[in-house]
Amino acid sequence: MLSLYTFLLFFLSLSGLLHAKSSDGDSVLILVEESHKKDFSLFYEDLKEHGYNLTFRAPKDEKPSVVDFDVPAFSHIVILASESKNFAKDITPQSLVELLSGGTNLLIGLSAKQTPLTSLASEFSLILPPPATPLISFFPERKDPPSVIPINAPASSLIISPNTSPIWFSGVPFVLGSNPLLVPILNAPAESFAADSEGGPDVLVDATERGGEGLWAGSQLSVASGFQTTNGARVTWLGGVDMLSDKFFKKDVSKGVKSGNARFARDIAAWTFQESLVLRLDSTTHHLVNSTIPQEQYTTNDNLVFTAHISRFHPRTATWEPYSGIKDMQLEFTMLDPHIRTALPAVAGSPGTYSTTFRAPDRHGVFKFVVDYKRQGWTHLQSSTTVALVPPRHDGYPRFLSAAWPYYAGAISTSVAFFIFSAAWLAGESREGKKAKGSKAQ
Amino acid sequence: MPPKPATAPAPSSAVQSLWKAYNDQTPDRLKFIDAFLVFLMLSGIVQFAYCVLVTTFPYNAFLSGFGSTVGQFVLTASLRSQVNPQNKNEFKDVSPERAFADFAIGSIVLHFFVFNFLG
Repeated sequence: MLSLYTFLLFFLSLSGLLHAKSSDGDSVLILVEESHKKDFSLFYEDLKEHGYNLTFRAPKDEKPSVVDFDVPAFSHIVILASESKNFAKDITPQSLVELLSGGTNLLIGLSAKQTPLTSLASEFSLILPPPATPLISFFPERKDPPSVIPINAPASSLIISPNTSPIWFSGVPFVLGSNPLLVPILNAPAESFAADSEGGPDVLVDATERGGEGLWAGSQLSVASGFQTTNGARVTWLGGVDMLSDKFFKKDVSKGVKSGNARFARDIAAWTFQESLVLRLDSTTHHLVNSTIPQEQYTTNDNLVFTAHISRFHPRTATWEPYSGIKDMQLEFTMLDPHIRTALPAVAGSPGTYSTTFRAPDRHGVFKFVVDYKRQGWTHLQSSTTVALVPPRHDGYPRFLSAAWPYYAGAISTSVAFFIFSAAWLAGESREGKKAKGSKAQ
Repeated sequence: MPPKPATAPAPSSAVQSLWKAYNDQTPDRLKFIDAFLVFLMLSGIVQFAYCVLVTTFPYNAFLSGFGSTVGQFVLTASLRSQVNPQNKNEFKDVSPERAFADFAIGSIVLHFFVFNFLG
């Protein structure tokens, strides 16, 4: 239900400065309980500053619905209601997965309480600890409770900006499965472990007696992880929504050093909402080496040229610009198995163009030019162009081979000798005839 | 005129006597055909030796060149037997001119196929 407050926010967003825009759309639905809505105001401000239109909804409300007549109504959905056990009928794990298939990006927060979203997390190869076991760490020494933990940002990460201050976290960790579509963002500190908030040290003692078995601990645990579906939609799972709250945005990590939560929130919003690390395969062409026209069929052993054009989205200017920074792209020339797998390097002097030349294999058949570029964090690039490879025509084989000149000499000499023989034979006959006539005349 | 030596030297081997008899008894026209046949045989041997010793590639060219010599040999041999005066009884209704005409047409057809297959 759109209240006056929401309308004000809407108009504020329109007048806000556009610092960065998503490549996917601007409408964001935020699912948050009424009681907690004002806890994330700085996060909302940041989103609006970057050009997003926010719509708020309590989990139990029916409107605004996420799907209108089978069309997703919002480009992005943020679920900050991490502790709600009851959602409206149109928010179920199945409906969220369908939204992902439709291209909606999701940012989902988990909590120590079991919710319907907990079962959804396991579908994304996230293994959650037992219920009511948040992440606890007794290091570094601080005045805060052990469940509020500052996590150092990773030294090098595609998603988190460099030199980000430590990030305050409070919530549950999870273990990442072996799904290649997962994109780890932030791991738990090495000294942290998952346990009840009350009996922290006892858990450690028990675990030591058992040899460390069954203890959820260490930097293998992740607190924020992304997942990129095969059709390009992005989901980010956060172990706790307090990372995005105003309280943690303003909290100091140490004397005078602000927390990195604001920067972290901006970074994961940028990745999840398709602003950063977004690539696009604009077009591909193929042709013979000394031609520019693509053909439907080529002959075996032809020299073929394949060219791809790739752009990257720049959120500051909201434009797609040619991008030549991919160093490890490959091209496969495939018929059931790749017969040729070669590098597709960028062409110097032509931004965004990647090209390679290769010799078509000696086998005829229906082949595909396949570009399949999947790297963690980046958009998946996939393209497949089908082309026929035919054997040479009867007059397409090489002729006048140097290995065959004895045979050419033999055949030609036989023909020449035959002509000389015939000429000599007929001349001899006419001479014999004259002689016979001459002798007859006598 | 001084008399010819009465005794001719005795032939020292069968090959030499064969060669002498051939030289004496064969008409010149037939010797001309035989020379052609020898040339064809040599050409065929050379091509076959190249194919066996060096390479069979390209096989179609070998077949065509070798077939050219063999086919021409066969046609010429049949011309020789039809034109030989000693075989007149066998070929009563084939005059030498007819034999040569058959030979010429056969050879031309052979060469057509040879150059088509030669590649």
